[in-house]
Amino acid sequence: MAAAGADDVRPLYRTILALGAVALGILLLGGIEFVYFEPLGERTSNQVRIEGVFAYDHQTRQTSGADMDSFSRDQEFAAVVDWSSLPPELVVGANWYDSFGDVVGSAGPAPARELAGQEVVPVAAHSGQERNLPGHYLFVVERYENGQPVEVLGRRIALVKRSG
Amino acid sequence: MAAQAAYHRQGRPARYRIAAGLVGVVLLVLAVTAVFDYRSFADVPGRALLFGLPVVVFIGLATYLGVEAFDRDPGRRRRHLLLAGGLLTAAILLWLLILDVFVFTQDAGPVVALVCAIACLPTTAFALWVVRRLDRNEKEPWRLVLAAAAWGAIVATSLVILGESLWEEVSVYTLLPGPGLEASTAFSAGLFEELAKGLAVLLLFLAMRDEFDDVVDGIVYGAAVGLGFNFMESIAYMTYLFSIFGDGAGAGAAGVQWYARQVLGLFFGHASYTALIGAGIGIARQLSSRRAQVLAIASGWLIAIAGHFAWDAWLTFFPISHSLFALVEIHLRTFLMDGPFTAMVAVLLLLGLRLEGRALERQLGAEAVSGSGAIMPYEVPVLSSPWQRFLARWRAMDRGAGFREYGRVGRLQNAQLDLAMERWHRERKEIDEPLAAEEALRQRVLRLRRQATP
Repeated sequence: MAAAGADDVRPLYRTILALGAVALGILLLGGIEFVYFEPLGERTSNQVRIEGVFAYDHQTRQTSGADMDSFSRDQEFAAVVDWSSLPPELVVGANWYDSFGDVVGSAGPAPARELAGQEVVPVAAHSGQERNLPGHYLFVVERYENGQPVEVLGRRIALVKRSG
Repeated sequence: MAAQAAYHRQGRPARYRIAAGLVGVVLLVLAVTAVFDYRSFADVPGRALLFGLPVVVFIGLATYLGVEAFDRDPGRRRRHLLLAGGLLTAAILLWLLILDVFVFTQDAGPVVALVCAIACLPTTAFALWVVRRLDRNEKEPWRLVLAAAAWGAIVATSLVILGESLWEEVSVYTLLPGPGLEASTAFSAGLFEELAKGLAVLLLFLAMRDEFDDVVDGIVYGAAVGLGFNFMESIAYMTYLFSIFGDGAGAGAAGVQWYARQVLGLFFGHASYTALIGAGIGIARQLSSRRAQVLAIASGWLIAIAGHFAWDAWLTFFPISHSLFALVEIHLRTFLMDGPFTAMVAVLLLLGLRLEGRALERQLGAEAVSGSGAIMPYEVPVLSSPWQRFLARWRAMDRGAGFREYGRVGRLQNAQLDLAMERWHRERKEIDEPLAAEEALRQRVLRLRRQATP
């Protein structure tokens, strides 16, 4: 009787084991995706010089003041990149990401020498918004290969405060 | 199994020590999280955790008193229950206060936080009611279902902060923004959140074995934990969106979030993921080999982590347009991405209910044949069917005695089912002290039979 009872659970046990196998498949896919977008062995000695993050006026397209880490929602800001700190033929690009991970400002990708006139990379307000959304903003300069970013050459984080 | 009929145990099995150890680890993680967060980030979550520790202690004490009241010391039940209720209320109030003051108030304000909580309460309560009713033969006690939900809402949400914060810090400073970073963040969420939620089900499995019978119970407890987590996460996201988009668009964004999490995704997402963990633990409950138990528990946990990961990592592959079709897309996305995991829960639940139903029918018949008087042969077909049980209660009420008789017959039926369940566990050698428990339940049925006339 007990042995027969023990057998009752087997279909359930096999089902959960099968689901465990499915889970391993899903996680393996995730691992492959991660390695594809985060390729190993792409690290070089290149490093970009980010001058800083400054207050910005979109009418004059000029930055002003000191290098800052936080801004109010009404304050425009931009990163300033010294593209000459990179080899001229290196294909690079710069992007601002808001706290939702959306790109809210960019330059490139292009060979570093072609970005000489684009040292200032400003943040644009999220679509449909008049002011910047609060939260952390990530600025990265990336090296590209075959149209895909493969290495981060420099990064800065700026905070847009909720109040103000 | 039956709380009311529980017997006095002679000492505690080793699993209680494992459970106590796990609780110790949880408290340690919370303490380290609180101190680490406070020192390192000097940020809101850190302070919230520091103040959140008393909440965890209150809930622990309340759970202990609740168990004592029902399980150990019936003579002081009322006093213990009052104390447990008071502590739980204090814990919930304290936690809400922390949420309001330290997390949401300075951004969205206490009124918005309160409105969000009130909006999420009826939907979550409804879902808990539905989930508890899934166990057609032997419903789990409300106190444990609510304790599971409270763990999900309060303890699990606190437990994940340290791990997820550290992971995010490292990822943001080392990985490329884009799908790789999203996959990494999704893995972190799946791993830490499912571990934190699943711990509640594992603790119930270790410490409340009498109330944890099989895969069905595991699914019920797991889903309850997930619903609690979803409740707190809904409030957090709603208030966050309200605070960043402002009064006008913020209310709309919070409303959309409420619909997505509290209506459309109520039984998907967290409820399904943690139900899968519960299913694994529930299946392990009925396995004799330690290796098979570990494999079942690990499989349940893995599929929960994978489901959570898949949603978070691959959400971007199902973009929502800015047209009217977006309404259809939002629903399709949930059904296509989370639907398969909810379907897995449904399959396990149906298999479990079928297994449980057959086993109970067999045990009810065997008890009837034994001549103990606890179950009569003519009662077997009635007790084997939830619908027939309801009709029997209804007929008893209809005879003129009203809801009181309905309740009496219901209690008798529950006790009889508890006895059948106990017999099933004894047959499978799944209980610590089978004979003492079984005889206690049998006597309880006979006592109730004298009071009720089915």
